[in-house]
Amino acid sequence: MEVFLQQLTNGLAVGSIYALIALGYTMVYGVLKLINFAHGDLFTIGSYLGLTLLTSLALTGRLGALAGILCLALMVMGLVALIGALLERTAYRPLRQSPRLSAVVSALGASIFLQNAVMLIYGARFQVYPHDILPKMPLDLFGLYIPLVKVLVLVAALVMMMALYLFIQKTKLGTAIRAAAIDQGAARLMGIDVDRVILIVFLIGPALGGVAGLMVGLLYGQINFTMGWVYGLKAFTAAILGGIGNIPGAMVGGILLGVIEALGAAYLSIAWKDAIAFCVLIGILIVRPTGLLGERVAEKV
Amino acid sequence: MNKILRVTLAFLVVGLVVWGCAQESGPIKIGLMGPMTGPWASEGQEMKQVVDLLAEEVNAKGGVLGRKVQVVSEDDGGDPKTAALAAQKLVTQKVVAVIGTYGSSITEASQNIYNEAKIPQIANGSTAIRLTEKGLKYFFRTCPRDDEQAKVGAQYIQSMGYKKLAILHDNTTYAKGLADETKGLVEKAGVEIVFFDALTPGEKDYTAILTKMKAANPDAVFFTGYYPEGGLLLNQKKAMNWPVPFIGGDATNNPDLVKIAGAEAAEGFAFLSPPLPKDLPTPEAKAFLESFTKKYGKAPASIYSVLAGDGFRVLIAAAQASKSTETDKVGEYLHNQMKDFPGLTGKLSFNAKGDRVGEVYKVYKVNAQGEFILQP
Repeated sequence: MEVFLQQLTNGLAVGSIYALIALGYTMVYGVLKLINFAHGDLFTIGSYLGLTLLTSLALTGRLGALAGILCLALMVMGLVALIGALLERTAYRPLRQSPRLSAVVSALGASIFLQNAVMLIYGARFQVYPHDILPKMPLDLFGLYIPLVKVLVLVAALVMMMALYLFIQKTKLGTAIRAAAIDQGAARLMGIDVDRVILIVFLIGPALGGVAGLMVGLLYGQINFTMGWVYGLKAFTAAILGGIGNIPGAMVGGILLGVIEALGAAYLSIAWKDAIAFCVLIGILIVRPTGLLGERVAEKV
Repeated sequence: MNKILRVTLAFLVVGLVVWGCAQESGPIKIGLMGPMTGPWASEGQEMKQVVDLLAEEVNAKGGVLGRKVQVVSEDDGGDPKTAALAAQKLVTQKVVAVIGTYGSSITEASQNIYNEAKIPQIANGSTAIRLTEKGLKYFFRTCPRDDEQAKVGAQYIQSMGYKKLAILHDNTTYAKGLADETKGLVEKAGVEIVFFDALTPGEKDYTAILTKMKAANPDAVFFTGYYPEGGLLLNQKKAMNWPVPFIGGDATNNPDLVKIAGAEAAEGFAFLSPPLPKDLPTPEAKAFLESFTKKYGKAPASIYSVLAGDGFRVLIAAAQASKSTETDKVGEYLHNQMKDFPGLTGKLSFNAKGDRVGEVYKVYKVNAQGEFILQP
């Protein structure tokens, strides 16, 4: 039982990061029907920017650990959101009227460009976050050792996901995003500025991806320029698992994928961990082709 | 029309003559294949620094056989697919021999390409046993083999009195081979293997694996993978409050391990390795370390880059002794005539398989400052 709970918390921490990245994939897909392959690299950029700001501004020293990290997170979110918007402007908007395949190729190109840019700027070696920013003490809950950082990451991820959900469901802008996701043409006829909606989506998605990158840096300490690929793939899987285009689906899918991985590793085989996770994905897609929470959408003619 | 044809022909002839001359009097090209980017970039970049420095020294003394030496380096990215491409590129550039690479699976992907092109390859950081068991005529290595490493590892495990051992590898050629070899040896000695599994390299979170290992309650953990994952494991083990001793194979031997884990988490970590550059006893090594430090402002951190340097030095010695850069003569010299060549890492000779003869693994331990200390 103890091992089960420990593995469950391990899975939740990993899953909440997958979920944050998956939100970026799913939002862009919902509105543009485009898989933004460069999203994983925005995540990488988030972790690198976090490191640069952390070491150059020494915020944690001036404001204390928690306030410093919070301030840092906001800065990273802002910067990565800007890069995301720039990406949309340069790589996707010129192709808005072209066949969907061109946009996918453009996304792949953007991904390679960003990855290499990070490599050229920061170098190919591993970068390491300072080890003493956050208190390392583990929480001791009934014999379970849970590092405090992990709990913070989990809570922060949940808070951000809730905020996003409320924003999409309750505000006027959120309604506009949902409307554009259902039918861009009709939304435009109703007086919604669809280009602005797309811009907002490209601000929010990358901001969440960037902050996930910062969290990975704080949590694991080690970052490298290729890490966006592995995390991007997992988050993309999570988005599909939950039903791509569906925001609560991405959250559920991400957390589920993390937990399946941890429990699969614990009770079956570690070497087969990814195979187990993908088998579950295939199984779910056979039963529900649109993902867990995805709705069946009539094919547009 | 006729005029154009004649001009083209003239250009062709001139071009061929110039090219032909360049072939004979131009520099001797020696290939260096290493992970300049990717997870093992710190190994590859240092390999390049070492080989570049040695080539400069050779050229300053007038080169080899009256010709200058030119190092052509290619990046294998620490990835088998990229390595195959890099090998093809070096083959088409007509290098006379290739030094490298780091990582047995990477070397394995390039071995046959060089062998078919009859280009000698001298690997520097590829210890998997089967690399030299294939009967490839032009493959050599300056690093020792994993059967020896496993023997030293098993001796250390027994001498520490560990009765229950967990073994973790990462499914690469090298790590799996070392894990299997060690498992066989320690089991014969009566040590119980309570855990044997592989992690996926390139991930960040290994707590699920550590939690599972902890439940098996081993006296010690032997990790046979590479330093990026090794550092993360040590860090996360510390965060879990699990004080089990960790032992690593020679692929954890890189200062980046301590950087990733943090000195506090890395303290007490023991690993197997050929002696580190700073502990090399030979006068050649001392002179080399001095000139390396003078040029780059720091001493070389990894033994594998120094082993790449030894690959370069035996190659030059073989070319000079056999008065030729022809593959068969150089290969023949390395296999049969080279005896106790004074290398940077000790005396060098190769057996019929292309393996280095002699040389012993040592045990190192990380101290509280994160330095690697040779264990007596």
